[in-house]
Amino acid sequence: MTAVLEIQGLRKTYRARGGPRRALDGFEMYVEAGQVHGFLGPNGSGKTTTLRTLLGLIRPDSGDMRLLGHSVPKALPQVIGQVGAIVESPQFFPHFSANDTLSLLADAGNLPQARVDWALELVGLRDRAKERVKTYSLGMKQRLAVASALLKQPKLLILDEPANGLDPGGIREMRDMMAALSAGGMTVMLSSHILGEIQLICDSVTIISLGRRVAYGPVSEVLQAHSTNQVRVRLEDVTDLASAAAVLSGAGVSVQTHPDHLLLSNVDKPALVSRVLAERQLYVSELTPLSADLEDVFLELTGTAPVPGQARQVDNSVKPEQNGVAA
Amino acid sequence: MSLVRAERRRFLKRRLIKWLLVIAVALLAIIATAVFFSNQKVDAATIAAAEAQADQEYQQQVMYWEQRHQVCGTVKEGTPEAEMCTYDLKPQRSDIRAEWYMPATFGFKANFEPLTMVWAAIIAVIAFVIGASFVGAEWSTGAMMSLLTWQPRRMRVLGTKLAVLAGWLTGIGVVTFGLWTGALWLIARLRGDTDGMTAGTWQSFGLTGLRGLGLILAMGIVGFLLASIGRHTGVALGVALAVVIVGQVGLTIVLTMLQVPYFGMYLLPMHLLAWMQKSFVVGNEFANCANPNGCEEVVKTLTWQGTGSIMLGVTVLLAVLAFWQIRRRDVA
Ligand SMILES: Nc1ncnc2c1ncn2[C@@H]1O[C@H](COP(=O)(O)OP(=O)(O)O)[C@@H](O)[C@H]1O
Ligand SMILES: [Mg+2]
Repeated sequence: MTAVLEIQGLRKTYRARGGPRRALDGFEMYVEAGQVHGFLGPNGSGKTTTLRTLLGLIRPDSGDMRLLGHSVPKALPQVIGQVGAIVESPQFFPHFSANDTLSLLADAGNLPQARVDWALELVGLRDRAKERVKTYSLGMKQRLAVASALLKQPKLLILDEPANGLDPGGIREMRDMMAALSAGGMTVMLSSHILGEIQLICDSVTIISLGRRVAYGPVSEVLQAHSTNQVRVRLEDVTDLASAAAVLSGAGVSVQTHPDHLLLSNVDKPALVSRVLAERQLYVSELTPLSADLEDVFLELTGTAPVPGQARQVDNSVKPEQNGVAA
Repeated sequence: MSLVRAERRRFLKRRLIKWLLVIAVALLAIIATAVFFSNQKVDAATIAAAEAQADQEYQQQVMYWEQRHQVCGTVKEGTPEAEMCTYDLKPQRSDIRAEWYMPATFGFKANFEPLTMVWAAIIAVIAFVIGASFVGAEWSTGAMMSLLTWQPRRMRVLGTKLAVLAGWLTGIGVVTFGLWTGALWLIARLRGDTDGMTAGTWQSFGLTGLRGLGLILAMGIVGFLLASIGRHTGVALGVALAVVIVGQVGLTIVLTMLQVPYFGMYLLPMHLLAWMQKSFVVGNEFANCANPNGCEEVVKTLTWQGTGSIMLGVTVLLAVLAFWQIRRRDVA
């Protein structure tokens, strides 16, 4: 497999009004050809900064980037025709129609005008294409942005939060469209914080927190590496929970007691649990291994799980080194 | 080049540009109409009548003067009458012009240049706003960022936009100048005369038109560059407003207070006149009047070459700044 997108040691510090702001801190990323790759991270973790840097819109402080095997930003003029991208919220001239907008881009990229109708059809804007972008809803603008990225019929499609503002139907259509594009040989990279979405459509993911990669790899591997082997136990008689907890602790299992169940961690063989308890006449009514989903992994790795009674601030993600880089 | 085609089409699709052009043409049309109705053709009989009236007026003035002159022969020094008699000059026939007793008439030769200045000023202001908005609105709406994900060579993108703007402004300038000249010619034929036009006069008028076109281009390009540097149309408009209010009104007050000689040299309208009329004479309001021959009559002359060099210098400076900046600064 060849990598169509490679990033190594990417650093970027913005000179902002409140002092310098480090957005990327030695970030790495690889996307292999033909994949749908999810780019996950909390707000302000550096996703958009990464994509802008890749597209030559901002200048990194250091780092190496390659797109389709070419070093960028140097070779960007050669590869840009094969990279369709939308960055951040879609931004177009509000007084032009969707048709005009795409037609001008097609001219700028020296593409046949026939592509315009094709792209508008694909994203479902055909019937509204003559109306001014100003009159579109957020979701419609998002569709137009996707259409502009597809116009190039690119080898690599980069979408920054494409599901933003889409209705449930739209999200599903986007998912189907990406599956179809990927099946047709296009590599798709999409950033998102809607994790269910990523888990459904992505082959692999990169998780970013505070400008650093905290996890990457195929979705199943990331889940595996971060699954905590937790098991939920309920007993026939709730009053026995306390003694069961004592027994299990004695057997070397870490136990969390809840009002109606126990939560066991680091249990390799759930069968062991029921045997130990049965020996003491404590009968298990439920024994459920809990599989982690991407959301759990994300919240754990980025330290952004909500804490009751506390308003989390955007930059309060956990420093990557405290987590240990995974996978 | 595909980018050129895209930018040419973009220019034509902009509604603001269309509206500004409509406004400019409407303004010129209103002025032409007003000129048309405030002038009349005069025939030989009217001229003869006016000459006769001027003669009569002259006789009367001479009569008044003679009466006054007799009095002046007898007045004593220091009285109010003596004051009046310091200007005891005999009226001349040439002081009294037949035109004063005729309805206004439109002489093409005499009126072309001042009215061409009106054309140049109106189109130049419009060109400034068009230039600023052409790139400024692209920046502020984010459309520029989208375009740069298609054409990552930023200098080329900016250069193409600038070249396309200059091309369209030239077209707009040439067409409106043609229409304006035609309108003035028509007014002269219907409401005045086109006498005295030689090949030399036409050439001189043509050069005036070219200088007007130069002004229009310079204003459009400066508007474009300012909006590009500020990444917003409003920046260019703000700078223009600041220059007019602080730079001109304020400067006039300060220079007057400081009694700077020839302060007209530092004011834009004088340079505008110098550019369009080829030269402009700035007097010294603070000349020394103490010497026996009255005020020293010293003047400074602004030339179109001098003014043109300043205009070019400012434009080039802004261009260097704008292109350097788009190359260096992040698009975020
Ligand atoms: N133009 C900018 N100037 C200053 N700081 C910025 C700028 N753009 C982004 N940042 C900062 O960089 C960090 C990363 O932002 P961004 O890449 O947009 O995050 P994400 O897309 O993951 O939500 C944030 O802390 C943000 O405030
Ligand atoms: Mg973002």
